[in-house]
Order: sequence, then structure tokens, then C-alpha cells
Amino acid sequence: MTPPKRDFLQIRGLSRDRLQELIEATLRHRALMSAAEDPEHNWDWTAAPRPLAGKIIANCFLEDSTRTRCSFEVAAQRLGATTINLTASGSSTSKGESLADTARTLAAMGVDAIVVRTAASGGAMLVADTVDCPVINAGDGRHEHPTQAILDMAVLSEWFGGIEQLVGKTVCIVGDIANSRVARSATHALTTLGADVRLVGPPTLVPPSLAHLTQRHGTVEVHHHLDAALDGADAIIMLRLQLERAAGGAVANDYRTHFGLTPHRFSNLPATTPILHPGPMNRGVEIDNTAADHATQSFVTEQVGMGVAARMAVLMNLLNPSRLSCWESLTQAVR
Amino acid sequence: MAPSKSRPTTTILRGGRLIDPASGLDATGDIVLEGGRVAEMSTARGALSTRADAEVLECSGLIVTPGLIDPHVHLREPGGEHKETIATGVAAAAAGGFTTVCCMPNTNPCLDNAALVAFVHQRAAAAGLTRVFVAGAATEGRKGERLAPMASMAAEGAVAFTDDGDGIESASMMHKVLATCASLGKVFMQHAQERTMTAGGAMNAGAVATRLGLGGWPAVAEELMVERDVRINQGIRARYHVQHVSSGGTVEILRRARAAGHTVSGEAAPHHLLLTDEACEGFDTNAKMNPPLRSRADVEALIAGVADGTIDVLSTDHAPHSTDEKALDFASAPFGIVGLECALALYAKALVHSGAIDWARLIALMTINPARLLGIEATGLGSLRQGGPADVTVIDPELAWTIRTADFKSKSRNCPYDGWSVKGKATAAFVAGRRIL
Repeated sequence: MTPPKRDFLQIRGLSRDRLQELIEATLRHRALMSAAEDPEHNWDWTAAPRPLAGKIIANCFLEDSTRTRCSFEVAAQRLGATTINLTASGSSTSKGESLADTARTLAAMGVDAIVVRTAASGGAMLVADTVDCPVINAGDGRHEHPTQAILDMAVLSEWFGGIEQLVGKTVCIVGDIANSRVARSATHALTTLGADVRLVGPPTLVPPSLAHLTQRHGTVEVHHHLDAALDGADAIIMLRLQLERAAGGAVANDYRTHFGLTPHRFSNLPATTPILHPGPMNRGVEIDNTAADHATQSFVTEQVGMGVAARMAVLMNLLNPSRLSCWESLTQAVR
Repeated sequence: MAPSKSRPTTTILRGGRLIDPASGLDATGDIVLEGGRVAEMSTARGALSTRADAEVLECSGLIVTPGLIDPHVHLREPGGEHKETIATGVAAAAAGGFTTVCCMPNTNPCLDNAALVAFVHQRAAAAGLTRVFVAGAATEGRKGERLAPMASMAAEGAVAFTDDGDGIESASMMHKVLATCASLGKVFMQHAQERTMTAGGAMNAGAVATRLGLGGWPAVAEELMVERDVRINQGIRARYHVQHVSSGGTVEILRRARAAGHTVSGEAAPHHLLLTDEACEGFDTNAKMNPPLRSRADVEALIAGVADGTIDVLSTDHAPHSTDEKALDFASAPFGIVGLECALALYAKALVHSGAIDWARLIALMTINPARLLGIEATGLGSLRQGGPADVTVIDPELAWTIRTADFKSKSRNCPYDGWSVKGKATAAFVAGRRIL
């Protein structure tokens, strides 16, 4: 009997244990990456096993992406898999082929997993319902971006000294929440792990209905005044102001003044408050250089590295659970 | 039961509960259908003249009513024949016990001239089951820019006007359309949707849309247009009808307007009486419709509106779409839900089994009231009376059955009801004395 297909589509509904398992695996892979970069260690990737050797992973990116796409590619190749890339332009989707048909076509070629990025909310679920191979959501419209949440949780866990340290912490997510899949996935993850979330931005981008996003261990509050929301915050996730979505006139030209992480606001934060941003950043809009490039408080670059680790963890989890243990013992040993 | 296309004969429906809301009749009796007319009706046992060659249908325990009327369906022909044709649409209507439907003009090309009204009548006559009346477009191409030839369409038999699928955006055009409808004595049916509030919307604005990351479509978009129209119509006094009311706010506006003596009415569809936006969870495109499914409070307000008479007509807004179209992602999939074949059971579930109204009232909402809305009551459609057309539906109110979309006569399957256990079904229907179910 074949076991049920494993997909990774959303954070909503994941148990705390499952979330913890993925975050811990991410941190182990991150340690391996650090070891490879560290000349003190007599180890690098050329010596690594190839647990996903022979697997082909289709990166189906129907919406523009730099870091997520490259990150999945690096992750897959570090694990020994080969990747094929499909983007909206230069594929049949530009000829009007539906998402389901594109997925069916890739699956028919026998790929071992499909990583999908689409502008359609629910698009990853649609692909997963269509094909028999595992599907990973790399961002579907405004719905979810679950691997981003895993990496963000890993970054925060590392900073605070353990996943359990997130219980009772307050995390501000600032920006265009209504249009953000990153904010949704992060909110589901944080509240599942016991952190409280403040969603912050102008009422046009942070409608009150967001307070009902989830009902897990942590609470969700909607805030329309950044300075008040930052008071008592333990960590801050700044979101990119999606200028391409601002066409509806929902963003006034005083956005930076009221919702940007300006040098003044940044200087008022405790020196222990980490600043995360999923990128790409609009410098001078939602975040200024002082915060974005800060040596100890900005985690923007660390997020990119953790992103590769998170995608390795998810790929391993879905594609090779049987060899996970031997791979994990290696990561333990190297650490 | 397979529809029989045999020539009109004499049929006696014996011992059923005759309900005719137009005359207030609600009693056990017999009815004779002959020569396309109701030849005799009697509630006195054995009072009917005997007819040796008549077919007799035992109706004991069943409800015998005027043929059911659905004033709002989409038959998709011309232009959308992969979703539905007039022939398959009336087959679905007949299967649901409807003897008359009124089809909407948002076909391709749209029904905005007399020739196309005649085309629909011809196709419906050829199909030979349920009667089809036409709601013509109020503006050319349903674009809201220039009046359609409503007088010519009315002369060809169009019974109502609407740009359904779209509301009439311009207040000035709305004024012209209402004035024309008033002069023709035809009802105007508004698809109430203030577009600037629904741009990018795929489902009801609220917690579920927020969670799923789908664009919201607020109830106020409907309410705004209805408020405006009632105001515009104040001096015109056309018969103004709000299609597929979805919001409790709209019910309240209609209640106030009716109390103030405005000539307004409203209709409700089965899905808005039963389902909420929670049905969209999991990105189920079968729950995507226009106007969208709303909150539990809206459902309750609609049912209360039906119970107190504010909403006096029921309609399915039968809107077929192919499985391929509904297999797109939620935001890209088309709006719409089919309804003809299970409507009666769903109305019964939402309104009768819930205790909001009784069967007699439900029958009124599905017979004489839509007949009056469409202005066809003078022909006798929508009522049961001696000499009137032999359009009759027989209902088994206790029949328990399971909705199987695979069994639909409609070309399309788009609804979230597959597998639902329901109670109440039309078991026979006659159009001009000829059995269609």
C-alpha cells in the first residue's frame, strides 16, 4: 500500500510538533551550511552524501521571484537532486494554459516533486489536488508562503535561544498585511508556537478582519499606530510595501512617516530587538538603511541563508523521510 | 420518472392536497387536466364527472400546486452552449418541477433585441418542456451606455428587463431604464453591485476571505445600489425588483421601502438561504457566486425577510459553468451555481423544515408571486383555476432523497450539494396538460 502523498502547502492547521520538527531540521541544515563555510571544519559539500540523488524537482515559478526560486534550487542541488525551472514567460502558461494543466504536464514527465509559486491564492492546493507527486507551496497569491515562515521561525528561535523561548514573545509584523502571504504564514506559525502577533499598518492594508486570522495559543491584534505597537515588541518583521499593488490608491505618500522603520524609530528600540524582512526591500520606504544594514539587529542576510536550510529541511522531509535519520546523524556529527 | 412527450390527454390528479395561494385554496381534492386547460377542480369527494379514457394519478399524501415558476435562470444559449443549452436548461427545470422559467439576457450575443427574444422562444418551443420567458437586456450589449430596444422586445414577448450579470452603473441611465420600464408596464430587475467596491473581489469580504487571501466583495456594494435605485425610482414608480438578495442590509432597505409604499420587491436564491462564506474554505470554487455567500447573520436576515414577506419571490439564479472552468484557481474561476434540480428541496430545508414558513407560503413564493413579478398572472400561470392553463406540479413533501450531481439533466454540475440528503421533491409536472416530469 502506498503511503498518502505528502505536500507542504500551508502553515495553518500544522501541529506544534510538526512545526517544531521542521524548524529543528532547518537549524540542523543551517549548522551544516555553517560548517561547510568554516575553514576550521574539515568538511565541505563535496564530501556530503547525496540523499536526493536521482530525484528531479520542478521549480514551477509562475510569478517573479529571486530569492525563493534560487533558494529552492540551491537547497535541491546541495541534497543531490537536479532541478528544472519553469517560469511564466517562456512557458505554456503565457499561452493561457491553466495552472492545473501545467502541473499535470510536469507530473506526467515523472518529476519527483513540484515547487509552485503562483499569483493565485489557493493555487498550490489546486496543483496538489491535481498531481500525485509531493507539492511544495513557494507562495500562492495572498494566501501562504509556508517555507518563509519556517525560516523566519528558525531565525527567531536561534536568536531567542530555542523554539520554546517564543512562548509569550510579542512579534510585530508591519506593512501590507492584507496582501501578504508572508504575514499570514508567519502569524499562523507564531501563534502556534505561543507567540503573540501584532499586525501593524494603515487600515487600508490591515483590515480589522485580520484579527480573526487564527485562534491558536498566541493572540493576534490589529494595530494602526506603529509607535504604540512597537512598545514592548520582542521582534519585528517588516514587509515590503507592494508598490505594484498600491495602484488602488490604498497607500498615502506619508507611509514612511507613519509606518516606516526610520532611523529615529530604530534608535528607540532596545538593542536586542531583531529586525527581519523577507525581501526585496524598498529602502527608504518601509525600512531605512540604518535598520536594514545594522550589524547585530538586522537579520535580512541571515534569513537568506536560513531560507536554503529551511528548503533543504522541507525537501528532505517530503522526499526522503526514510534516509532522514542517517542524514541527520551526519548533521549532528558535523555540528 | 421519464418525461413523456405524448400528446395532451386527459389526466386526473386524484386526492392530493390542492394548494393555490392565488385563491387561498388549501384542501384535499381532485383536478382534471384536459385540452391543455384545467377542465375541472373539486374538493368534494366523487363530485367530478367520470372520464373513461383519463389517466389517473393518485396524489394522496402529495401536494398539487400551480406549476412552479423560476424567474431567474441562465440558459447560456446562444454563446455558452458548452455550459448549457436551452434544451438542457429546460430539461433541468422540468426535472426540478418548474413549468415556467424566465431566462436572463447575459448570453453571447446578449439578448438585447427582438430577434434574439424570438430565437429563445423558438428554441424553447422546440425543446417542448418547461415554458421559457425572456428578460431582455435594458441597455445595448448590457454595457449601460445606451437604451436597448425595450419596446420592440416587449412586443416580441419579453416580460422583464435587466442587465443581469452587471448592475446599471450610471444613475442617469438607471433613470432612463426605469422610466422606460414604467411606460411599458414591465418590471426592471437589478443585479445590484456597485463595481468600485467589488474590484478584485472573489468572495464575501470578511474573516474567511482574509484568511484565504482572496479579494473581498462587501455587502455594502449591493446595498448602495439598491438605496440609490429606490431613490431614483421614487418619482417614476416603475416596478423595481432586486435579484438574488444576499445581504441582510438589503432586506432592511427593501422592508423600509415597501413600508413607505415603494413599488419594490426582492428575491432570494437557495444558496443564500443555506450557505455562508465558510463554504469557500479549501478554495471550493463551487461556492463561488455573484453575489457571494455571506455571513450567518445575513442568512438569518434573509430567512426573516422571507418570513415577513419582504422577500416575496424565490429564484434559483441557475448559473451553469463547465467543470473545466470551475477547475481554475478560485480567483480565476467563474461565478455561479446551478440550482434548478434541487431548488425545491433546498427551499424546503431552509424555509419549511426550519419553521420559518409553511408549504402554502412556499408555494406562493414559487408560483403566483413570480407570475405577478413577470406580469404573466393574467394568463392564469401561477394559479390553479378552472379554465386556466393546465400547468401543475405535484410535490411529495416527505420524499427523502440524495442529491447526485451526476444525475443532473443540466449540462453542468457546479454546486456544493453533491451527496446532500434532502427531503421534498417534485414527482410530476405538467405544462398545458402535457407531462414533463
